[in-house]
Amino acid sequence: MSESVTDAAAEPQLVPVNAIFHTDFVQILVPVTTADTIAEVAEKVAYHVEGRRVRKQDAPKVVFHGGRRLDPRLTVADAGIGPLDHVRVEYDV
Amino acid sequence: MTLLKREEWQHLVRDVDWTYSYVDDEAVYPEWLSGTGKVPRAAWRTWEEDYKVSYPEYVSTQREKETAAYAVKAALQRSNAFDELSEGWKSSTKMHYGGVALVEFEAVLGELKMARFGLNPAWRNMAAFGALDEIRHAQITMFFGHEFVGRDPQYDWTQKMFHTNDWVAISLRSLFDSMMVTNNVVDLAIQLPLTFETGFTNLQFVALSADALESGDVNFANMISSIQTDEARHAQQGGPTLEILVEHDPVRAQWVIDKAFWGSARAFAALTGPAMDYYTPVEHRKQSYREFMEEWIIDQFIRTIEDYGLRRPWFWDEFMKGLDTWHHALHMGLWFWRPTIWWRPTAAVTKADREWLQEKYPNWETVYGDKWDVIIDAVNAGNVEATLPETLPWLCSLCHLPCCNATLGRDGRWRVRDHSLTHNGVTYHFCTNGCRQIWWKDKDTLNSPTVIDRFLAGEIQPMDVGGILNYMGLTPDVMGDDPDYAWAAEYRDRVTTTPLQVAGGAQA
Repeated sequence: MSESVTDAAAEPQLVPVNAIFHTDFVQILVPVTTADTIAEVAEKVAYHVEGRRVRKQDAPKVVFHGGRRLDPRLTVADAGIGPLDHVRVEYDV
Repeated sequence: MTLLKREEWQHLVRDVDWTYSYVDDEAVYPEWLSGTGKVPRAAWRTWEEDYKVSYPEYVSTQREKETAAYAVKAALQRSNAFDELSEGWKSSTKMHYGGVALVEFEAVLGELKMARFGLNPAWRNMAAFGALDEIRHAQITMFFGHEFVGRDPQYDWTQKMFHTNDWVAISLRSLFDSMMVTNNVVDLAIQLPLTFETGFTNLQFVALSADALESGDVNFANMISSIQTDEARHAQQGGPTLEILVEHDPVRAQWVIDKAFWGSARAFAALTGPAMDYYTPVEHRKQSYREFMEEWIIDQFIRTIEDYGLRRPWFWDEFMKGLDTWHHALHMGLWFWRPTIWWRPTAAVTKADREWLQEKYPNWETVYGDKWDVIIDAVNAGNVEATLPETLPWLCSLCHLPCCNATLGRDGRWRVRDHSLTHNGVTYHFCTNGCRQIWWKDKDTLNSPTVIDRFLAGEIQPMDVGGILNYMGLTPDVMGDDPDYAWAAEYRDRVTTTPLQVAGGAQA
């Protein structure tokens, strides 16, 4: 039983965030997980916007949370992004 | 027998009141419904209105109005007028029928509440006529909309919309419940007759009527003009109520009028803004939404509140700036999330449209043009799928509309910014500072989860686009789509050009 509890604790948790991508016109709901890296978060947000409403740019993406620019190698859990938090994804130009 | 002149008897019937001996006043006019607050009970004796209509006069006038409206309808039924209307204009009417019909019924309940709990007999009398007015408005709107159900099932949402969990329905129910159902009659008289009916319905029923005539929809113009003639009378309940409240509790008066104005402005940006600046064909637009707002609402609102010794609302700057952005972003949202609405939104961004928009709104191309260009390229590449949603827009915890209001930062960039707060461990997001402030002050009386809240709570299953549309009551025969993507064809030559690099929100 203790083994299954440990397994459950290790499973990534869903973290729904309020996200805005670059110059997009609207904030959107994007589900990420605690195990996603910040670079993956940027891509998950971009998926709903890039080429749909914002033209794709050949530039890296950067994520801001709580006024901080996040290291793309961090995970959502490490970065302290919680459910319903706001994240901003920008092109790093 | 000599009949008394009206002025000799009317005060007797209109102003009849009772002095209660078997119950106390609080039992008959409980505070939570009558809402006298800091106003001494006796102060309401001075409540007065100018119309002083009698029941026979009322019936006679209303009969004439009804006869005229239905005569025009009957005549037009035999013509092919409906078939000649543009899809864009039809969308304006579908939006109006669905968005308004049962709000009119809710107004019946509001008027009846004032007719029972108003603190002056003349007020209760006027409200009784107001309830009769609103019954007529609910009926005429549903009847006119119902005529088209056989031709287009989207008109069925005239009656259905308000009963669904569509996000527009939730937004409107939240606004109008707070104006008519959950409040006391003093606040109601200031929010509904004074702020909403004296101000905003002018825009929907007079200004939109002008667009209807230009678009060739005589029937619709006839219907909403007929409704508007009633508003001028029963809207008079607001002025005398405000006058008494301002004298005894100006802080409450200011707050009540401010938040009603804000809520109305948000709803009109979503419904009337797109109808005027996008769905009405460009050659038929009389004025821009901003120009209509300035002419019909802003001047009059400011004059009214200053006449009563009140100030401009604290949000005035944010509201005025929003006249250039709110409805444009909401239009884009309605178009992009078109399967969630019961009309066929025209994109209305042809070259001619954009020239008009840019002339009326000098920042339009900078803020919205780049997004529409990406959409246009996807349509022309045959990739309509890229223009359809796979997630939800974030909905404001107060107005329930998408959080989509870009503002110009000090760095010269237009961005949609975060307006959130955390309360009791839960983070709430808002479209504007105005919505956040009103939510904060009223938070103990609000209980209307957004579609996002419901989705995340697991109330919507399955948790995908299909589940969301089903939850909202949308069926394939009703859900919205662009009526004709051919509008994008005139941009086809742009596909071969180098994509514009958009940095800092500026249009290259």
